[in-house]
Amino acid sequence: MEYETFIKDAEDILKKLGKDFQHPEPNRLDVYIDRTDLLAAAQAIVDAKWGYLSALSGLDCPAPKAEGQQPVEAGHLEALYHFCRMAAVTTLRVKVPYNDAHVPSICSVIPSATLYERELMELFGIIVDDTPIPDRLVLADEWPEGVYPLRKSFTGLDVPERAAQES
Amino acid sequence: MQESKEKFIVPIGPQHPALKEPGHFEFTVDGETVTSATIRLGFVHRGIEKMAESRTYIQNLYLFERICGICSHVHATAFASGVEKLAGVTVSPRVKAIRTLFLELERIQSHLLWLGVAAHEGGFDTLFMYSWRDRETVMDIHETISGNRVHHSVNLIGGVKFDITPEQVKKSLKGLDFLEERAKYYEKVVTTDETFLGRTRNVGTMTKEQATVLSAVGPTARASGVQRDVRVESPYAGYPEYPVNIVLDEGGDLSARFIVRIKELYECFRICREILKNLPEGELSVKVPRRIPAGEVVSRVEAPRGELFYFIKSNGGETPERVKVRTPSLCNWSTISSVAVGHKLADMPMLLVGIDPCFSCNDRLVTVRQANTSQTMYWEDLRKYGVEYYK
Repeated sequence: MEYETFIKDAEDILKKLGKDFQHPEPNRLDVYIDRTDLLAAAQAIVDAKWGYLSALSGLDCPAPKAEGQQPVEAGHLEALYHFCRMAAVTTLRVKVPYNDAHVPSICSVIPSATLYERELMELFGIIVDDTPIPDRLVLADEWPEGVYPLRKSFTGLDVPERAAQES
Repeated sequence: MQESKEKFIVPIGPQHPALKEPGHFEFTVDGETVTSATIRLGFVHRGIEKMAESRTYIQNLYLFERICGICSHVHATAFASGVEKLAGVTVSPRVKAIRTLFLELERIQSHLLWLGVAAHEGGFDTLFMYSWRDRETVMDIHETISGNRVHHSVNLIGGVKFDITPEQVKKSLKGLDFLEERAKYYEKVVTTDETFLGRTRNVGTMTKEQATVLSAVGPTARASGVQRDVRVESPYAGYPEYPVNIVLDEGGDLSARFIVRIKELYECFRICREILKNLPEGELSVKVPRRIPAGEVVSRVEAPRGELFYFIKSNGGETPERVKVRTPSLCNWSTISSVAVGHKLADMPMLLVGIDPCFSCNDRLVTVRQANTSQTMYWEDLRKYGVEYYK
């Protein structure tokens, strides 16, 4: 199949930058990278003309509740950069902790990422450093600062203190 | 600030009677020429992705179908196919064919709707009335088969809700023949009418390079010669059995966007006929467990406006952990901010409509800075301004 070649190409392009490579589906490649390598990885994909940035999504992975008191793994946020080429999808995955939720902007390499980055900042509270326009995109003007609706801790505006707890 | 004194902002919206949906655009102009444009969205932001996390997969199917009233079926298909992949179930060829039939019927009504709106923005109300009248034919086909004009509610997770009877096939084929004749007429109008071409030829031209850099999708990209169509690149539902011929145009201007969409209608008619005439056999639904196995899936489909992207994560429970929906209008907005610069203010209504923006799909808009004077203009005013300007 054609996508197998593309996935192989993507693996080669990101070989040096990726920490972990996974294949959740035959046509998909998930590459876990450090945020410091994000810009270089995006640049490498663009330079190799490997597809286009199709979507950017956030993911909130709170600490799983273990049997005991202590959570097994610390909770974190994740930014997923999905690149598509024909049927192949390569996802760059960047994990960031709640107390230091920053990722670099990739707009210098892919200008069309601006809207996605603004959405990520508003809905997940992942700060995108140096994004060209940091203004609010989708939430209402009167929406309180520091409340991020797509985080799992957010359960409605009537309990705003819950969102504040995790930071 | 010295420079900004010479600039003039024209804010438009968020309420405007012509587009029927809330959107706020602002253009900075220097005399008649637009010098910049920016976006502020969210007037119809409903928090659907958050809502999805507290609803079961079946409830979510209905929720996602309601993201958009124009392309409801495409959302439901993207979601249902993603969940089916996670659950590891395969639907029958008949289900795939029925889904594909509706995907294409939906594209027909969406393109005809767009043709009407675009013609109206350009001041060609006769074409608007004609295309919307003819669109009723495809709405009737929808209603004949599904019982609904808008939210067809075709899908189940693991199948479709209804079969297609021979009488319905006959009625639908008759409707398609009529629509094909009309599409030929529209193609003639948009390619030969001088007044119309005056508003579309060499307006809003986007080169292939620009379209690629700006990650444009759908007919907007294809009108600039970019080969981007999920139906061809990564065939889903019934498209492996009913392959699509990609429609491209190198023009890149508004005129090319009209031509691409009208030519796509012919492809839609062809595929619908093929499906209706050779419906494969198969069960209408398969059983899908209530709890979906843990995992992540990417589901991509080609909506009438371009690539629609779903990312679904399951934690093994009855409700999804996360569903990300990236709609095509979002990708195409960034083309407006770039292409608008250098054009006349009078071209803006047509230019905006050229990408076929869908607010409820995606809900995002445009704002401008650097100005100390501003004048409020309603969309209707801007449309009239455009029409008067070109009289």
